[in-house]
Amino acid sequence: MVKEFNILITGVGGQGVILMSELLGKAAVTDGLRVRGSEILGMAVRGGSVTSAIRIGDEVYGPLIPTGKCNTLVGMEPSEVLRNISYLSKSSLVLLNTAVTTPFTVFIGESSYPSLEEILGQLSKASGSIVQLDASQLAQEAGSRLATNIVMLGALFGTEQLPIKIATIKETVKARFPAKAAPVNIKAFDLGYEACRKAIK
Amino acid sequence: MKELTVSSNAPGERLFVLGNEAIARGAIESGVQIAAAYPGTPSSEILETLAGVAKELDMYVEWSTNEKVAFEVALAASICGVRAMASMKHVGVNVAHDPLMTASYMGAKGGLVLLSADDPWAWSSQNEQDNRHIAEQGFIPVLEPSSVQEAKDMMADAFELSEQFRQLFMLRSVTRIGHARGDITLGEISRERRKGQFTKDRTWLNYTPREARINKPLMLERFEKIKKAVNTLPYNQLKLADGAKLGIIACGLSYSYALEAVNWLGIEDKVSVLKIGTPHPLPEELVITLLNSVKEVLVIEELDPFVELHVKAIAGEHTIPVKIHGKDLLPRIGELSTRKVTEAVAHLTKTKTPVNFASIDKLEQETAPLLPWRPPALCPGCPHRASHYAIRVASRRVAREHGKEIEPVYPGDIGCYALGYNPPQEASDTIICMGASFGIANGLAHVVNAPIVAHLGDSTFFHAGIPPLVNAVYNKANITMMILDNSATAMTGFQPHPGTGYTAMGDETVMLKPEEIARACGVKFVEVVDPFNLKEATETIEKAIRFEGPAVVVSRRLCAIIEQREKKKRKEAVVPYHVDPEKCNVKCNACIELLGCPAIIKEGTKKVIDSSLCTGCGVCAQICPYKAIVVE
Repeated sequence: MVKEFNILITGVGGQGVILMSELLGKAAVTDGLRVRGSEILGMAVRGGSVTSAIRIGDEVYGPLIPTGKCNTLVGMEPSEVLRNISYLSKSSLVLLNTAVTTPFTVFIGESSYPSLEEILGQLSKASGSIVQLDASQLAQEAGSRLATNIVMLGALFGTEQLPIKIATIKETVKARFPAKAAPVNIKAFDLGYEACRKAIK
Repeated sequence: MKELTVSSNAPGERLFVLGNEAIARGAIESGVQIAAAYPGTPSSEILETLAGVAKELDMYVEWSTNEKVAFEVALAASICGVRAMASMKHVGVNVAHDPLMTASYMGAKGGLVLLSADDPWAWSSQNEQDNRHIAEQGFIPVLEPSSVQEAKDMMADAFELSEQFRQLFMLRSVTRIGHARGDITLGEISRERRKGQFTKDRTWLNYTPREARINKPLMLERFEKIKKAVNTLPYNQLKLADGAKLGIIACGLSYSYALEAVNWLGIEDKVSVLKIGTPHPLPEELVITLLNSVKEVLVIEELDPFVELHVKAIAGEHTIPVKIHGKDLLPRIGELSTRKVTEAVAHLTKTKTPVNFASIDKLEQETAPLLPWRPPALCPGCPHRASHYAIRVASRRVAREHGKEIEPVYPGDIGCYALGYNPPQEASDTIICMGASFGIANGLAHVVNAPIVAHLGDSTFFHAGIPPLVNAVYNKANITMMILDNSATAMTGFQPHPGTGYTAMGDETVMLKPEEIARACGVKFVEVVDPFNLKEATETIEKAIRFEGPAVVVSRRLCAIIEQREKKKRKEAVVPYHVDPEKCNVKCNACIELLGCPAIIKEGTKKVIDSSLCTGCGVCAQICPYKAIVVE
């Protein structure tokens, strides 16, 4: 029995955050687990901040992760990980895609983007372990930059802490994409998985 | 094996769904035959889900032109004995308010359910009104789910209850129900299909003063019966803990937060909990039992102290000496959370919180200045960006002639183009409600000496833009009304509308043209422009502003997202633009500062077009003073 396992996915509109949470939820139900979750989109069709929570377990009731109770944070974009620092605790694990998406406001001088060092420095005050990977680059290697979210999904399973079986999530990924796109996504998943295993060792 | 979907008749099976899909599934299980809605976040997926299975399940589903019509469509079906529903966002209920207040006098024949999707914290709305007040005003009983599963179950039962008590029911969802996800256990799908029959009966169908006076007491009688019945409905549950000093009354979704908070604090056996699934009317007997068993009560509910005030009234009426807390410890604004509830319960039980929230807050505050501002932006290639640009250039040209200090006014509206209130567009000066751009422009015309250029989208025009357009003609308002026609209800997910040529169920239909409606309404200046032709668009808008009397300009270009999808289907390649570094002046920032297109990025002082984002609209190439933006 799983009591409570909280996954927070953060990113920018268009990065496939919601798709990732749909895949996780579906796979969890296939494995007989209870799932709850919710996403924060605001008015973002494109380009705004997006977060999505997936919560697995029998003692989960609310759709949102309580402050400081995130087990694993999957960060598609560095500053968006930082924006969600209040969900982290010393026992949280952060997976960070180091590829930056600069918001338009930086170009017109209305705000500035922190350096990776600043981001990591601040995050390390909250979380005990941070795994960095260039998921966007790995997705490119797999065959499409669009598969960045699946690289991150692979990395999430590479932590080997999830209550969902790897075979189940891979089946769910395969079923979600047209036959032609499936191999790219499975390769993306495997690259993310391996990158995370390597980083943790 | 066939994949399980929302239309599978597979009782007992589990399915991972969005809350709005669960609500649709509940309606399907109940055998709903008629569903009508107008899109609005967070409600749109309910009707979308139903539309997707309507033919397979022999239902009639429509996107109505607005919420008032949607509700009337459902009401008519109920009058004829058929199960029907209307779904809408909270502010949509305002539009349907007129028929709603009399529908409750009428009562229901076929089960009739109004789905109100409230939006605490106004994630995608202009306000966070609490629609339990509207229900109370109309003696409409409210069901409020605590989870995705319960949303499904309540929706299925709501039709049954509506017929049992012959009254219209409201299911009040919130963003964290409709846009939550979870696993649900499916129930049996009813395949009963009734034949609608209209029976003439003026005593309950024709509302003259006489019928109002006859039917109000009947409505009150029905409501009294419902008031008794809610005490035994499974959605209201009282769990008394031996010797508990504190009682919790938690309404709807707040019950989930309350359970988590009590578990987190480890005080499950020290507090009594009353779960409320019917905030209106409240299960009075259960409330009295709880109040009599404890010293203090905490009422947990999002937004207004609706349950709290009723509980206080009950305590007063029965002179129960109990201290009742609620909005003194919990916010009246925004969504609740496990944390907020935990803190309130910890305060009352003098328990230590399991997490040091203060230190987390401190770290968050310290982090805030590091974060870049990332507002949502119009998509690359969005025609609204070009329309906004043309509106600004044209109206400023004319404004200058009115006087040096004169600024044009741009009343805006509800839709994607609302994002144009951000820099660099800043082309939306007011956003109030559907259709208000034209309405506000009508008023401004009589008090302001400046060019007034109002704009709304095509779907919004059909929804609420026509009466203020007629008003402008009738009352001779000297304004320019722009319809930014992208052939889509884009903000809510591309639902079809009267201008698209097809219906919710995918059937072809007539395609209404805003320009023809404007001409038929007596507007003498009506022009259609392509916003991607900036020069033509700007000149036409300028002419419209100079025109004496109301003028209409339809700025027509297909939504960029749909355009890209269609191009992909046609296997047509997108030809992106790029910046010629030889011609680009590094000191000039015009493309970025005037358009704010996500595809144009800066690498140092160099401007670069991200070819994976560029849709090839060419608007930036038209405004570049150095002609440095070119096609490969």
